[in-house]
Amino acid sequence: MIVAFSILSPDAFPTFSNFINVLNQASLAMIIAGGLTLAVIVGELDLSIGYAASLNGVLVTGLVVKNKLPIPVAILIVLALGALIGLVNGLIVTKLRVNSVIATLGVGTIIVGLAFAYSSGVPIVAGVPEAFLQLSLGRWLFGIPNPIIVMALVVGGLWVLVERTSIGQEIQAVGGNPAAARLAGISVDRIKILGFIISGICAALTGALLASRLVSGTTSAADSYLLTAFAAVFLGSATLRDGEFHVFGTFIGTLIIVFGFNGLNIFGAPTFSQYVFQGAILIIAVGLSSLGRMLAES
Amino acid sequence: MNDFAGEAGTRAGSPVVSVNAIRKAYGGAEALKGVSLSILPGEVHGLVGANGAGKSTLIRILAGLTQPDAGQIFVDGKRTAIATAHQAGELGMSFIHQELAFVPDMTVLENIMLGLPKKTRFGIVDWPAVAREIEPIAKRVGVKAPLGANVKGLSTAENWLINITRALVCKSRLIVMDEPTAALSPAESERLFAIIRDLRRSGVAVLYVSHRLDEILELCQRVTVFRDGQSVAELTGAGLTRQTLVEAIVGGAIAELQKSSAPIAAGEVALSVRGLGRPPKVVDVSFDLKKGEVLGLGGLVGAGRSELARLLFGADRPDRGAITLNARRFAPKSPAAAVKAGLGFVPEERRAEGLILTKSLAFNVGLANLNSIVVNAMLPLISGRRRRTLAERTIRELAIKTAGVDTPVGQLSGGNQQKVVIGRWLQSEPKVLILDEPTRGVDVGARVEIHRLIRALASRGMAVLVISSEPEELSDLCDRVLVMAEGRIVSELAGEALSRQGIIAASYAGAQERSAA
Repeated sequence: MIVAFSILSPDAFPTFSNFINVLNQASLAMIIAGGLTLAVIVGELDLSIGYAASLNGVLVTGLVVKNKLPIPVAILIVLALGALIGLVNGLIVTKLRVNSVIATLGVGTIIVGLAFAYSSGVPIVAGVPEAFLQLSLGRWLFGIPNPIIVMALVVGGLWVLVERTSIGQEIQAVGGNPAAARLAGISVDRIKILGFIISGICAALTGALLASRLVSGTTSAADSYLLTAFAAVFLGSATLRDGEFHVFGTFIGTLIIVFGFNGLNIFGAPTFSQYVFQGAILIIAVGLSSLGRMLAES
Repeated sequence: MNDFAGEAGTRAGSPVVSVNAIRKAYGGAEALKGVSLSILPGEVHGLVGANGAGKSTLIRILAGLTQPDAGQIFVDGKRTAIATAHQAGELGMSFIHQELAFVPDMTVLENIMLGLPKKTRFGIVDWPAVAREIEPIAKRVGVKAPLGANVKGLSTAENWLINITRALVCKSRLIVMDEPTAALSPAESERLFAIIRDLRRSGVAVLYVSHRLDEILELCQRVTVFRDGQSVAELTGAGLTRQTLVEAIVGGAIAELQKSSAPIAAGEVALSVRGLGRPPKVVDVSFDLKKGEVLGLGGLVGAGRSELARLLFGADRPDRGAITLNARRFAPKSPAAAVKAGLGFVPEERRAEGLILTKSLAFNVGLANLNSIVVNAMLPLISGRRRRTLAERTIRELAIKTAGVDTPVGQLSGGNQQKVVIGRWLQSEPKVLILDEPTRGVDVGARVEIHRLIRALASRGMAVLVISSEPEELSDLCDRVLVMAEGRIVSELAGEALSRQGIIAASYAGAQERSAA
């Protein structure tokens, strides 16, 4: 795909600045998709992430603009709220035994309501301080855009957590076979809740960075990240390991999707084609993922 | 009973199904290296062999689930390729697997007729007419549940009978049964045998796959033995004995199971259970389990043994009673708490509950030993080197046959999978180890090794509780056996009284007593 776009648009697509630009764009999607990967590895789906990101984007802007809180404090508060949303999702799924699709759809819808309640549906635009802008626009390390640094830290951290720690072993076991994990002495519920919490925190982080990038807190700004994240996670599961969800796969999946979008943009493809592209890639990704699993089992 | 199979299967002498020089490789590994087998009409043909010998692969080929790389299949003397499961059905073959597949919320009748053509009126299925057609067949097979009943609550035995009914409705001439008695009680097995004999009389052929040699000897006229992907013997008549079978399976003479040597010295009590209950499955259970002891838990299927194990392991909570572990009160809220307190559990369904099949051997062994394979307690990073060392030690100590520590456990044979589950607890040294049906579906050689292993663990001071439906296993392996019936312990056998017959007698006596009371 990258080669095709490079040939079609040799001046704009295959340039270094465009690669950095695309990676920068991919960062926010990558962070939220990385969190979703954890929820999916433990065997659950989290449909609340897009709405959670939007709510936290509104909230962080509000805290900085209206409450005049220092930016780090505001960010810590929204990360905590992200964790809380994940905790609620996790408790509903494990303790009330509600299917995660329903639980997170319900929680997600409540979150939309909260975002409207907080902002009355009016975007918070005026009085956003320059420092808040610099969160996403700044290049504080070696001239690399901040979102890329944050994304690298998140992806690296999640990868180490899943692949290299004892909790990661438990996470993988719960996803592989919850019954066996339970009888091997693992607290399956606790691990599932952890998966949701990480998913919630990553969504909050994406929401905060997006608000900074847009210089505003808008109630539905991050909603569309839901689809992108799912497509990335499933596409990633079809790469490298047959149908198994993993953090590095999600990284690859996100890059494929964001480069696809970017290519379409440069190519001047009309808006409708981007929706078609995203819907199609979601279906293809899930299809490839389950084909991979089938091949692995046979 | 003689119209069981209708017009089919009357030409005695020529095989219903025969295969010749079948080869099949998965990746680089050859599962079948040229096997041949022919099944005559109206015979019960045994198929035996160690796990991994290729039995399942051949069954999958016959069922149309996978294609052979080479070789021929003949049905009624005509060369055939079986491309799909549907085609296998049309050729007159039915397959009844260990894990029976039903649609849980449908009735018995709907499950029997699933995917089969049904009588219709104006395009709508005429269920009363279908029921009238099926009723006599179900009755002959001995299905006790009404055809309109939901299959959900039915016993495994009843499910088998329903499957056999379905096979007859399809006018099958060959029914392939894979480990049919693995989940049946002795009485239920006897019923199944009677039905198999009836099938045989009416000309239906049965391919009977089992590890239980007593059953094979009792039922089968001819037996084909697989070893390492080859058919190594076809035994029949006087040549078909326990001795010849075992020798063919193992490929040489092996020593018979060793009865535990000197009775162990009475150690201190490791696990003490008093008045434990979760009615109706477990009622007022009390016993002591000593260090270094192998205690058996016997009884009929449904007697409450597995339910008792679940209480001990924190998978369920008792309504009353108390447990003490090493003289301390023990009330596990979850399996995780039980493991922390020093229990280990080898579940009955090793594929469903014991292993993460897609993960490597090292991963599965490491799972119960995470604390010992991290770099250090403060930094819980997994040390690849320590995990590998742990896995290699386990492979060595248990003689697990595997390509390496990174092989997914789903690719190992049943016996080796079971060793992985046991091996997980070997290194963490729990105080009490509970094993539920430790050798179900495991071949003769691996069974001996697993028994030896359990004795070795006990001699290290571990207290071991073995649950088994096989009286022989309990009498061979255990120092003492408790027999359960209807949720209670009805009998304790040790020393002279501890024998296969003693356990069976106690199981039935207990069951009768309870149901009479």
